[in-house]
Amino acid sequence: MSGAARPAPAAKPGHALSPASLLRRFGPLLGLLILCGALGGASDRFLTADNLLNVCRQSAVNALVSLGQLAVIITAGIDLSVGSILGFCCVMVALLMHAGVPPPISMAAALAIGAALGAINGILLTKLHLPHPFIPTLGMMNVARGLALVISGGFPVSELPRSFRFWGAGSIGWIPAPVIVVMLFCGAFYVFLSRTTIGRDIYAIGGNPQAARLSGVPVDARLVLVYAVSGFTAAAGAIVLAGRMNSGFPLAGVGSELDSIAAVVIGGASFLGGVGTVSGTLVGALIMGVLRNGLNLLNVSAAWQTVVIGVVIVAAVWVDIVRQRAAERGGG
Amino acid sequence: MDHSTPLLEARNISKSFGGIRVLDAVTFDVRAGEVHALVGENGAGKSTLMNVVSGVVRPDAGELLWDNHPVRLDGPRDARALGISFVHQELALVPQLSVAENVFLGRHPTARGLVSFREMHARTEQAMGELGHRIDSRRPVAELSLAERQIVEIVRAVAFESRLIIMDEATAPLADRDAEALFRAIRLLRARGVALIFISHRLREIFEISDRVTVLRDGKHVLTQPASRVTHEELVRAMIGTELKERLGSAVAGSAQSEEVLRIQGSLSLTVHRGEIVGLAGLAGAGRTRLLEWLFGAARPHGKNTGEAAREVLVSGRRLTLHRPVEAIRNGLALVPDDRKTKGLILGASVLNNIALASGRTRFFIRRSQEERAAQHWIGALRIKTAGLSQPVIHLSGGTQQKVVLAKWLLAGARVFLLDEPTRGIDVGAKAEIYDMIRTLAGGGAAVLMASSELEELMGVADRIVVMHRGRIAGELARAEATEEKIMHLATGGAD
Repeated sequence: MSGAARPAPAAKPGHALSPASLLRRFGPLLGLLILCGALGGASDRFLTADNLLNVCRQSAVNALVSLGQLAVIITAGIDLSVGSILGFCCVMVALLMHAGVPPPISMAAALAIGAALGAINGILLTKLHLPHPFIPTLGMMNVARGLALVISGGFPVSELPRSFRFWGAGSIGWIPAPVIVVMLFCGAFYVFLSRTTIGRDIYAIGGNPQAARLSGVPVDARLVLVYAVSGFTAAAGAIVLAGRMNSGFPLAGVGSELDSIAAVVIGGASFLGGVGTVSGTLVGALIMGVLRNGLNLLNVSAAWQTVVIGVVIVAAVWVDIVRQRAAERGGG
Repeated sequence: MDHSTPLLEARNISKSFGGIRVLDAVTFDVRAGEVHALVGENGAGKSTLMNVVSGVVRPDAGELLWDNHPVRLDGPRDARALGISFVHQELALVPQLSVAENVFLGRHPTARGLVSFREMHARTEQAMGELGHRIDSRRPVAELSLAERQIVEIVRAVAFESRLIIMDEATAPLADRDAEALFRAIRLLRARGVALIFISHRLREIFEISDRVTVLRDGKHVLTQPASRVTHEELVRAMIGTELKERLGSAVAGSAQSEEVLRIQGSLSLTVHRGEIVGLAGLAGAGRTRLLEWLFGAARPHGKNTGEAAREVLVSGRRLTLHRPVEAIRNGLALVPDDRKTKGLILGASVLNNIALASGRTRFFIRRSQEERAAQHWIGALRIKTAGLSQPVIHLSGGTQQKVVLAKWLLAGARVFLLDEPTRGIDVGAKAEIYDMIRTLAGGGAAVLMASSELEELMGVADRIVVMHRGRIAGELARAEATEEKIMHLATGGAD
């Protein structure tokens, strides 16, 4: 065994440090830094500690939702329901606290509800053999949004307990509480996706579901788990958002499914599945947040911001494709 | 038509990709009314040469002559305009469309700006008739067998009066009898003066169908000879550069021991002993893949056939009902599927992640260093040529990929190996290595059930050959008594 187990000496570090793979790894980060530099040059209010902390706080909800979306996209799926689940959980947690349920229990309940709604997505996908995750999550997107409006009567549920608002608006020292929540989630997701056998299963399912099944991966169970996780992170986003706004409002998270998908693909994940990282997704969410904040500071109207973000999404993915082709040519 | 001057001539073609010379001054020609076989191991440069001829790749140096005139191909369109058709290894058909629509894909005949379906079907049926085949031109391609789809590809070439047809591994997915139908079509085309370039790993076919044969090795031209003046041995030696005789078949497989490892009871009954290699022969559609995947818990039983026929499965004497692959794996079974790209590997994932995929499933956290050590062990033991554990398997050759699949199961501790076409699309040198490994597995006490469409391969490797016909066992032959005639007799439904 000792003779046979000799690794090829030069190959491994060479592979990891080639310019193409460095670019692949740090490309989104490089984009973020360039963006920050450019905005700092354009507005002297951008590169201040207060503003940057503000960007992080504003990006937190999208970052949380995007982590769940990342797990889904790695399996070559898509979750359109995260925005509506966020809205439903946002109302739910506020209503529970108004009914006198202590904040910690209300939050746990909201997280459980989010995970359960996500699990229903996964069960519909795997047990009814719906052709594509687009369908069950599109259905859930409508159902959850409708329910959010029903239980709230269409009105925001405002004035929440102080201890709850901490999770959205509070700080520990100078660090905003939502940022700490995001860091904890990122750490947990990193370990989950790259250090556990379940994480490896998730990548394998995205790479080739057929081969994964024939290698003993319980594909259906893993998919249900992944969609449940996505619902769970949407609920976490709901708690942070409700805390920050001091209100559970039924239209919370409209469009955040698309923001999360954008963050994930800007972060280098592939819709074809099998590819994607936590760090890339975090950077993707920050790029979205920095763009919105910077354009605000430059007095660009919300309408034009939307146009810019659309262009950035397409450009980021295009750059990624070009990079991949270059890497294949170099390596192939 | 003058049959002695070449229709197409490639002179001193060179091509490099990223500094690696794939073709080195290769000269090659093909005449009208000739089947010219092109052979060589994977990576020998066959595909690149054919891509040059069909305009997909531009050569760095050298020239192409068509009817003795120099031509310049700036794309596949130019090649098609000359009358060159490429029948690809991966079939380029749209399953949802009808046969005729596929034949005329991208070139639909029109009348007043609208597609003329009547003309399309008429011309398809006519071309089909010329090849001696009857496939309803209105059927969707999805309903056709692989063999029929190959015919559709060829009909496509015929319908456009191609003068040169290139067939890249056209017979690879076909059982011997289906290949025969393809050969009939090839012979008809040849008689009509069409030039054919035929690429195949099955040397026996090359002797059967081709007039001349050219061998490439490492991007260089090695020999061109009339097929009648070269032997099987000479071809193999030309392809791999060394004598390989003793590896290809003379070794006696580990003598079977008495302990039963796998047993299927019922009207479909089958046993495999410890250390034994049992071959599974049969025509396409006989149910071999179905049987293996069903044994592995990956497929529903074959309608009424296998399901009722095989009521019980015993592994090492224990009765099992396997509903999912994970249960089969837990009981020491391993499946090397017929198509490693779609069923065997996560192509985009690394060598390490592919090898480790079936192991350690009971743990929550991955034990990375332990896993890497184990993977390195099997990479060394199976001589897997890879740049490192993190290399994606998509860049590996077919033979190396198949070894990765085997390594996955060895790491998972499998004792019963279900091999489905283990050497499909693998070059001669790597095939010999895979045979060695199968024998080593059996020698080490594993039980091997191996399905193959190549009879030579089964007779060379298996201790016993079980022949299937329409989802049932048609008969069984010991290694000593097995001949191609006997196997085919059983496989085609002849009595024992």
